[in-house]
Amino acid sequence: MNRTTQKWYDKPVTKLILITIAITWIFPVFGFVLSSFRPGEAIKRESWWDAIYTGKLWSELTLSNYSEIFFADNLDRSFYNSFAVTIPSTIIPITIAAFAAYAFAFMEFKGKETLFLFVVASMIIPLQMSLIPLVQLFKSGVEIFGLPIIPALDINGTFVATWFAHSGFGLPLATFLLRDFMMGLPKSVIESAKIDGASNMTTFFKLVLPLSVAGIAAFATFQFLWVYNDFLVANVFLGVYKPENLVVTSHVSQLAVGAYGEAWHLRTSGAIISMIVPLVVFFSLQRFFIRGLIGGAVKG
Amino acid sequence: MKEKTQQQKLMSFGISMLALGIFPLTWFLFQAILFRELTDAISRNLLVVIAIIVGSTFIFLLFIGMDKIIKLSPKENRDTLEARMFAGPSIFMIGLFLFYPALRTFYISFKDRYSNEFVGFENYKWAFTDSEMIVTIRNQIIWLIFVVTFVILIGLIVGWLSDRLNKGEAFFKSIVFMPMAISAVGASAIFKFIYEYRPPPLTQIGIINGIRVSVDRLGTTCMNNRIIDGKFYGFDNDNCLPPIGWLQQRDLTMLPFADSLNLDNWFNSILINLPINTMLLMVIMIWMFTGFAAVVFSAGIKAIPAEIMEAGQIDGASELRVFRSIVIPYIKSTIIVVGTYMVVTVLKAFDIIYVSTRGDLETNLLAVKMLDEFSKYRNFGRSATVAVLIFVCVLPIIIGTAVRERENTQS
Repeated sequence: MNRTTQKWYDKPVTKLILITIAITWIFPVFGFVLSSFRPGEAIKRESWWDAIYTGKLWSELTLSNYSEIFFADNLDRSFYNSFAVTIPSTIIPITIAAFAAYAFAFMEFKGKETLFLFVVASMIIPLQMSLIPLVQLFKSGVEIFGLPIIPALDINGTFVATWFAHSGFGLPLATFLLRDFMMGLPKSVIESAKIDGASNMTTFFKLVLPLSVAGIAAFATFQFLWVYNDFLVANVFLGVYKPENLVVTSHVSQLAVGAYGEAWHLRTSGAIISMIVPLVVFFSLQRFFIRGLIGGAVKG
Repeated sequence: MKEKTQQQKLMSFGISMLALGIFPLTWFLFQAILFRELTDAISRNLLVVIAIIVGSTFIFLLFIGMDKIIKLSPKENRDTLEARMFAGPSIFMIGLFLFYPALRTFYISFKDRYSNEFVGFENYKWAFTDSEMIVTIRNQIIWLIFVVTFVILIGLIVGWLSDRLNKGEAFFKSIVFMPMAISAVGASAIFKFIYEYRPPPLTQIGIINGIRVSVDRLGTTCMNNRIIDGKFYGFDNDNCLPPIGWLQQRDLTMLPFADSLNLDNWFNSILINLPINTMLLMVIMIWMFTGFAAVVFSAGIKAIPAEIMEAGQIDGASELRVFRSIVIPYIKSTIIVVGTYMVVTVLKAFDIIYVSTRGDLETNLLAVKMLDEFSKYRNFGRSATVAVLIFVCVLPIIIGTAVRERENTQS
């Protein structure tokens, strides 16, 4: 059976089309990466294809763009800021969602169905819908019927604002996905643990969490890449006007928007540094990322 | 006896208030105020270290603290309290940081720019009459049609063809999927370099203009604006094409074939008005998301039972026929899921426009317009209205998906 199908499978046209598409996809990155290793003056004086053509390119190659953008232009600070935003913004929603998912999967309480419906329904809310009031909430608090629930905190521009904004946006999906995952765990194991007298906390930490690692990893990869690559939330809650508040994406956007004139040597090297972390995460955790993505396909 | 139960009730109420109300609130406020005060007080590097440590561990303190308080309550209440403690923070956070703000956006959209007075449907009238808004909505529709179609089409081609390779399948899929991992800001920077335009005495460093100025109308090589080996070749050859600021072009009149077009023809008159800058910006998004579609489709194609495919081949159906009558119907639901995801993504597209053109030159999209109204023009009412428009467009699609999912799981 394999003989015939293989022959049918391996037509040169297939390869030709795929190679064409692959080259088209790689090509934009190629000139960009190349330019990041050329001095700023050279980029502007001679196009990269002419430089290849004349062979001058090889003598020009330098790493100075990278050291300039990283140290002189303070991209290192933006880099650390990105981690200060991304790591808690991944851990907080996952922890909260894991607890909630456990409750929805294994515990009995009043209004369970209604509350879960509320979680699912919240998935349809696009980020834009809650942006303005959230900024106001972080600035001047909330009052419900004159009763202050949250006082005026004025925390826009601090990391906390981004953590809770990202947590709010990520929680419905995280709760939904993790509950789905936990429902798939063998019920008998959890029940026998309860019969043995294990408390919910013990069952959760010792049994359910280790069993749900795959599900948690899927969402964690997804959320990590999402937050790290996010520009909108960083723009709104951290702002782009204070240079010490920039994260990697907003720093690169500042470079690209034109405040730097024609500084292509900084634009290219800055953008490429910003891509290193997500590419590493992506290639090492591709399987989890895809699973998280597909799960997230039904989100507002 | 009666008094005792009264007392017990009071105590369990107190404990539940403490565990589920006061403690989490203190937890939140402590974190917020701590970082507000620290932000300007200590050096940035120290702040980052503290932020990472506190931000990722404090959340466990919340649950451990609640658990400790709940342990104080009488046994018979503990189960209920524990359930609330497990599910509560998620519900509360979604409610406070997502659901309540969304409701409030609705409310604000009916008020004036400072949210002082009700203006009825004034903002909505503006949204559908203002010339800038009409262009924005037009662009959004163009984006929806083209981006979703091309992502699905190219995704199907890559998914289907790569599945038929003996080796290298993962390699091809990774190449096309890779842009999904990088930020839209980075992708926009990459494509800005390709579309780069510089006024004529300067060398063209963007590849598209580079190709354009290097070939003249007669098809021979043109050396305009080129510096090779330090020798400048001048820019006086009139036969050479001038470079074009691609992202500044609202229509195709700059392209050479435009001169020879017969504008009486309705098709040509539409063609000439094609907003080229919007089209080129859409390429960025297609470049980013095709890989996602390809990977999802490829998983769907792999799930087709081998017997069905073989039956088609034995019957002598051509490959295109197999693709059309077996593959497409089989992964129809997958295509719909990807389509839904893309529609929602396009409706929320923000970074690409914001970084490339900032929405000028008739390239704006709803999500960018929303932020512009908010932070540039400081008109909260209009900004909220645009947000509501995005939501209203997303709503039926998501509900449709949810209903279909439900039918699938039930049947």
